[in-house]
Amino acid sequence: MRLAQFRQGEMAVLLALALVMLPLLLHLPSWLPMLVLTMLLVRGFLLQRQNQLPSLWLLLPLLGLSVFGLWLNLNTLIGREGGAALLVLLLGFKSFESRQQRDWQVLLALGFFLAAIPLLFDQSPPSALWLIVSLLALTWAMLRLAGGAVQGAAGMAAQALLLSLPLMLVLFVVMPRLPGPLWSMPHEQHVASTGLSDSMEPGSISQLVQQQEPAFSVVFDGQPPAHEQLYWRIMIFDDFDGRRWQSVHGQTREQIQLAGGEKVRYRLTGKPSRSRLPLLDYPLAAPAEGRLEPGGLFKLASDQDDVLRISGESLVGSHYLSELSRSDQDFYRHLPPGNPASRQLAMQWRSQSSDSAGFVREALLHLRLGGFAYTLRPPLLEGDNSIDAFMFSTRQGFCEHYASAFAFMARAAGIPARVVTGYQGGQFNSLGRFWQVRSSDAHAWVEVWLAESREWLRVDPTAAVAPERVSQDLGQSIPAMQAQLPVFGSRMPAWMVRVQQGWQAAGFAWQQWVVGYDASRQLSLYRWLGLGEIVDSASVVRALLCGVVLAGLPLLWWWRRSTESVPLQEGRSRLERALQQQGIILLPSDGPLDMLNKARGLPAPAYRELKQLCKDYAAMRYQNPALSQQQARLWLRRVKIFSTDLARGKLRQGG
Amino acid sequence: MLPFRKPLRAWWLRRLPKESVCRLGQRRIYLLPTRFGLLLLLVAAAVWVGALNYAVSLAYVLAFWLLGLLLVAVLMAYRQLSGLQLQVQESEGAFVGQFADCRLRLLNTTAITRQLLLQSEHGGECVPCTLAAMAEQSVTVVQLLKRRGRHAYPAIQLWSTAPFGLIRAFSWWRPDASLLAYPLPLPDREHQDCHHENGRGRNRGDDEEDFSHLGEYRQGDTPRQIAWSVLARRDVLASKRFASQPRGQALHQLAWQDYPATLDVESRLSRLCWRVLQCEKAGQHYRLHLPGCMVEPWPGQREQALAALAEFRLPV
Repeated sequence: MRLAQFRQGEMAVLLALALVMLPLLLHLPSWLPMLVLTMLLVRGFLLQRQNQLPSLWLLLPLLGLSVFGLWLNLNTLIGREGGAALLVLLLGFKSFESRQQRDWQVLLALGFFLAAIPLLFDQSPPSALWLIVSLLALTWAMLRLAGGAVQGAAGMAAQALLLSLPLMLVLFVVMPRLPGPLWSMPHEQHVASTGLSDSMEPGSISQLVQQQEPAFSVVFDGQPPAHEQLYWRIMIFDDFDGRRWQSVHGQTREQIQLAGGEKVRYRLTGKPSRSRLPLLDYPLAAPAEGRLEPGGLFKLASDQDDVLRISGESLVGSHYLSELSRSDQDFYRHLPPGNPASRQLAMQWRSQSSDSAGFVREALLHLRLGGFAYTLRPPLLEGDNSIDAFMFSTRQGFCEHYASAFAFMARAAGIPARVVTGYQGGQFNSLGRFWQVRSSDAHAWVEVWLAESREWLRVDPTAAVAPERVSQDLGQSIPAMQAQLPVFGSRMPAWMVRVQQGWQAAGFAWQQWVVGYDASRQLSLYRWLGLGEIVDSASVVRALLCGVVLAGLPLLWWWRRSTESVPLQEGRSRLERALQQQGIILLPSDGPLDMLNKARGLPAPAYRELKQLCKDYAAMRYQNPALSQQQARLWLRRVKIFSTDLARGKLRQGG
Repeated sequence: MLPFRKPLRAWWLRRLPKESVCRLGQRRIYLLPTRFGLLLLLVAAAVWVGALNYAVSLAYVLAFWLLGLLLVAVLMAYRQLSGLQLQVQESEGAFVGQFADCRLRLLNTTAITRQLLLQSEHGGECVPCTLAAMAEQSVTVVQLLKRRGRHAYPAIQLWSTAPFGLIRAFSWWRPDASLLAYPLPLPDREHQDCHHENGRGRNRGDDEEDFSHLGEYRQGDTPRQIAWSVLARRDVLASKRFASQPRGQALHQLAWQDYPATLDVESRLSRLCWRVLQCEKAGQHYRLHLPGCMVEPWPGQREQALAALAEFRLPV
């Protein structure tokens, strides 16, 4: 191997490593990837100049220092983030220690491992794209390091990756998945999570609403419910401290009964936030992955934050009957002091109506007609009496303001009430035939307990102010959202809607079939393909056999194409070998005539046949170089028959 | 390393058939992962375990893609050797204690470039060889000749780790050819047959004043004697004859009996060998007498004389 060539291979390794490391800038404290990138750059520079590497006595303290810095920064050296950071750091130092080819190979192998690390943080399609780029770069570096194909190395790397793609797909689909993790991981608290927060304070949801991120997606079995019935409940806030609603889990147990309504089955895919996933009002039973908490909330059994698919069952439009003991009722009526004007108004409504339902009607009527406005940018509510300020002065707000005020008023009137947060609505994607619920669909509503019918009644005060908020998609209902599309004015053109839907559908498919391809989905695929009722060793072997046959077809095609020999060359060397077995030695310089001359001693039939073959060879080789491949192959076949016949002695005289 | 590796390999190599021509096929190409290949397999396994634990689908993709790449690398490494044709080429002998060249011809009948390495069974230097598409190339593997006589070509190991260095495809071939080890020449001052004043300097060759005329090329003429300019100009092979070159003079008799009976066989052969070489150098005619064998001055005498010396009284 030439030294210069080898050096280029090392450069290629450094380049590929730097490329693979780039996405880590997003996921790790950015000083670390920057530091390692600088180290790789310096190493490349030293390589170029063929300078001496720094001594171990310099490197070791530096390594200790940076590991210490890392520990100060992250407080951990294990787990997802700590482990990744440590590996990246070690990689940087290893590059300064690489001298022989074997060291560089170790570095390259570490690079392949490094490519897996961003995937732990992000599995979106761009991340997958970067994985492909990384793999290409690493494979290319591997080719360069192996010293061989310097020209067209990139093409060859692409070819090798393409050829291994079918194998990868088969293994991806077929290899068994585990339902849970192998070992538990330290939970990472400092990762900022999206979704609804633990408490509700004016402003917490409206911030979420301004994001357009997908929150979860749903596929209904059969007819989906109407848009205004899509209430996805996640959390219940049962305590108010004057400013903020939060959950204190006042009720540990709730006897409920669902009456009436329509049964709806659906599959929901989403990323749990604090081990919670939304369920449609009102859930009939808990999905297998967790249990139902009091209030019909779904809590996962395990502490995980990866995308999950659950199948739920709900009764839409049913009555949520529940017995509340006296103490429970008192709990749901508890209020801190303050907001005297609102209390007074609530008492007034209560006295005007005969029952709790009447109060609700009065209150909603007031909200509808009292000059309230729905806006994403309400004025700030300051001071202790925030409910009073909202009800009597600003009168502008978002769902959380209305829910908070309504629950307050109900409690003030002596009616047990609580705030429910979750999502409302969703957008149907006709291309992917699924419902997409986004952060902007985050919503808060109220449940009041009617003593007369012993039922928790869902009340959406926001709907009283802005009915279109629950009956339509948010983007069309709220002027503030429309204003965010400056170029197209108030309405998106049809083609753009289609593009958006297509993009969403692709994202959904990606989520369903790549990121969310788990043990249960694998099982259903196995059943659908008829490979077995369970994923066990027998069915995996069956699936592997079928899959490898499929994956082998492109490989076979490539093999046949790439190893095909040139018929004339091949035939000539076959003849050479056949004659050699008969004791006739041909020289490389011998032409067809020399061959015939030397083969004079052969039995007559063999000689005749050889003469014909040589004649054809000369004709194809020298007279008509633009011969057809077909002809040459036919000739090669004749040569093959001739050589075997000659070896078996079939072409003897009279034989 | 296995303790029985060496005898095992020797036994296995003895079982290989001797072939003067061979074509590498699936029955004789072996594939093993290199250290780097194993390392990458380990990385794939580690990524897979990580994917299993963290339920990261894209990490499965990476792990399985690596595995697929390793499998494709097996095919690609195999392809480096598959269909390759090997032939023996005539080789000159060498003196005992010297390296002899085992010349081989590699023939590539396919449209792929092959990156090969060759090594003799006794180790020694690896010979790299890049064989272009549809090309042939001569390759020389050296072998140290320790004993006088006829030596079989060493078994040749051919391997390739191209293109990725992940998989090593290798094959063994026992060429059906042999090398001659001539006796090591020992100077013999008592029997200086050639007209040298001091045994050297004379044959520095083509000094101007020594040149006599151009003669027809005769087999056995050294390349030094060939008139290259004439060859280039007129495409005729001619040899330079030198003035001092004795023509028609008496034959030198190099005989086994020139030495006392006490001298052992090898010493006699070595001395005779030296004398043969001296005569050849000086371009003088000689006759070699060995018990039961006589080499007359005819074309190719040098090779015959050396061969006779090499194979003298050796068990067949």
